[in-house]
Amino acid sequence: MELILIFISAALVNNFVLAYFLGICPFVGVSNKTENALNMGLATTFVMTLTAAATWPIYYYILVPFNVPFLQYVAFIIIIAALVQFVEMYIRKASPSLYRALGIFLPLITTNCAVLGLALFMVLREYGFIESIIFGFATGVGFTLAIVMMSGIREELEFADIPKPFQGVSITLIIAGMMALAFMGFAGLIRG
Amino acid sequence: MFETLIISAISMGAIGAVLAGFLVFADKKLKVEEDPRIEAIANVLPSSNCGGCGYPGCRSFAEALMKGEASPAACVAGGNETAVQIASILGVEAGSVKRMLAVVLCKGGNAEAGRTASYKGEMTCTADHLIGGDKGCTYGCLGLGECVDACKFDAMAMNENGLPVVFYDKCVGCGACARACPRNIIEMHPEDHKLFVYCRSRDKGAYARKVCKVSCIACGLCVKDCSVPGGIALKDNLAVVNHALAPQNDESIKRCPTKCILYDVEESVTRDAYLSSLAKGPGK
Amino acid sequence: MANSLAREFTKGLWQEIPPFRLVLGLCPTLAVTNSAINGLAMGMATIFVLFFSNVLVSFIRRTISSQVRIPAYVVIIATLVTVADMFLAAVFPQISKALGPYIPLIVVNCIILGRAEAFAQKNSVLPTAADTLGIGTGFILSLTLMGGIREVLGFGSIFGVKLLGEWFEPWIIMILPAGAFLVFGGLVALVNYISSRKAAKAAEAAQAAHGM
Repeated sequence: MELILIFISAALVNNFVLAYFLGICPFVGVSNKTENALNMGLATTFVMTLTAAATWPIYYYILVPFNVPFLQYVAFIIIIAALVQFVEMYIRKASPSLYRALGIFLPLITTNCAVLGLALFMVLREYGFIESIIFGFATGVGFTLAIVMMSGIREELEFADIPKPFQGVSITLIIAGMMALAFMGFAGLIRG
Repeated sequence: MFETLIISAISMGAIGAVLAGFLVFADKKLKVEEDPRIEAIANVLPSSNCGGCGYPGCRSFAEALMKGEASPAACVAGGNETAVQIASILGVEAGSVKRMLAVVLCKGGNAEAGRTASYKGEMTCTADHLIGGDKGCTYGCLGLGECVDACKFDAMAMNENGLPVVFYDKCVGCGACARACPRNIIEMHPEDHKLFVYCRSRDKGAYARKVCKVSCIACGLCVKDCSVPGGIALKDNLAVVNHALAPQNDESIKRCPTKCILYDVEESVTRDAYLSSLAKGPGK
Repeated sequence: MANSLAREFTKGLWQEIPPFRLVLGLCPTLAVTNSAINGLAMGMATIFVLFFSNVLVSFIRRTISSQVRIPAYVVIIATLVTVADMFLAAVFPQISKALGPYIPLIVVNCIILGRAEAFAQKNSVLPTAADTLGIGTGFILSLTLMGGIREVLGFGSIFGVKLLGEWFEPWIIMILPAGAFLVFGGLVALVNYISSRKAAKAAEAAQAAHGM
């Protein structure tokens, strides 16, 4: 039951993009075409789930017992960088067409604050191993949801008459603000 | 404190070393064997992904070439140069690339063919055409520039009269504009075709004349005057040139009442010439 | 020499000001600018990491091989961020609490890695220092501005000092995520507008000069 709560909370109520401002750079940068957005979202979800699974044991079985929890930032980012590199190699072998579709986006996931943020939140909230994996997956789903919704809206915006200063990043952010407002409606979904 | 230093260095170093080892192992295991010739071919291709070869992108064309499914001459954008380079990499015959050019078969711009409605929808030709178009002539160019947008080689521009201009020094004949036009007004022709009927209207002569000053009214004078019988024929109220038969000369165009059939039109404008003529202003 | 250094510095203050024109570092901009002091603190922490990491990268740029450069940069940045985080926790605990997990997120702040890739690895130490100081100062200004706007409209105060009297009903939305997006979007539009006006004036001046 608790796992379901974690999932809904991370994906909807406390959506990483719209409530915690994590993953904004790809959110603004990659959301112009729905196909790209979906690929980016799915790749990120995959990396995030793996990150949760990899960073949890490193933190609790190496950093904490050796009394060096402050090294978490360095350790986590090394793990994330290695994971992304591995995922890129694997996708290149397993599905060349997917690799071509994702292109430049894969290495960019390394600097996606949502991935590192997920690891940090996991430590802050002291989740267990299974909870962390669910959390990682849920935040990925939330990110994918937000970025795909944004890309759908932006594709529609192509035909709208947007005033010159607002074109591009500006209107995307204003739309994100409205989406954030809408997502506030989920507050209270989880009691306590 | 010294102890913390040692532990930090060792633990981080160890994690780094393990991950690095893992990545090296993964790199060996997940090596992608690719014939280096594909890379070599992809490098000589123009990388414009125009689709003129019939394949979705230059990379796919390179792979098809490797498999022997495609001929080097299919790359129209690259032309004969590229075909020869591909042939030398693969060790096959180059074939010869016939240079194709885009021809816009409508001269009914804003001045000649009037608008009968005020269109305020999505500003693309496809959308306009979907609702019947805002011009009197339902076969003519709508002037919203979908062809210009489709061109990846900067070979087209929209002029003030609402008609597209093709720059023959830049056009590679990929056909993207022809595919983009919802009314099939653009055709791809080899350089040596020079006689064209610049109209697509299948409306009856009287009506066609009413909605456009330069439309073909299917009077048949060009058919009669053509030195080769059958070189031009009337079909569905429209004169059509049979390029295989018709001599590329200007006998047939002399009596056309609307001047819609033309020979060797001054369309061979280069991009620079066009832009400088614009800069000089109207009435040059 | 001094002229070009000055130019490297000033370009971070307008032409390439993050995050409005150089669209990087969006996450901290939106997250911690709910008050002016938070924005200022985040800016200071960022410029600290930005300056030292890029100067170090520029220093060792000849010795790091190209394949491992990204992990190397990232480890340097992560170490500096750890230092900054500990410093803030010890000396300014309230701010550290307010900024929360966003300090460690400076590690993945695209500005730092982006400048390292784009500038520090190709230029020597002094120009790099000037460049990072400029970009960092621009960032501090932007964050403080955004924090100020959100604080004035959301709390009625600035830097903790009550500005607007009792009559002002605070716009709660300004403190919420939605408000952050809206203010940022508005500021980007403003910056775009100002730069397009500048460009138009410059084009006019150039035409007049050519006697066209």
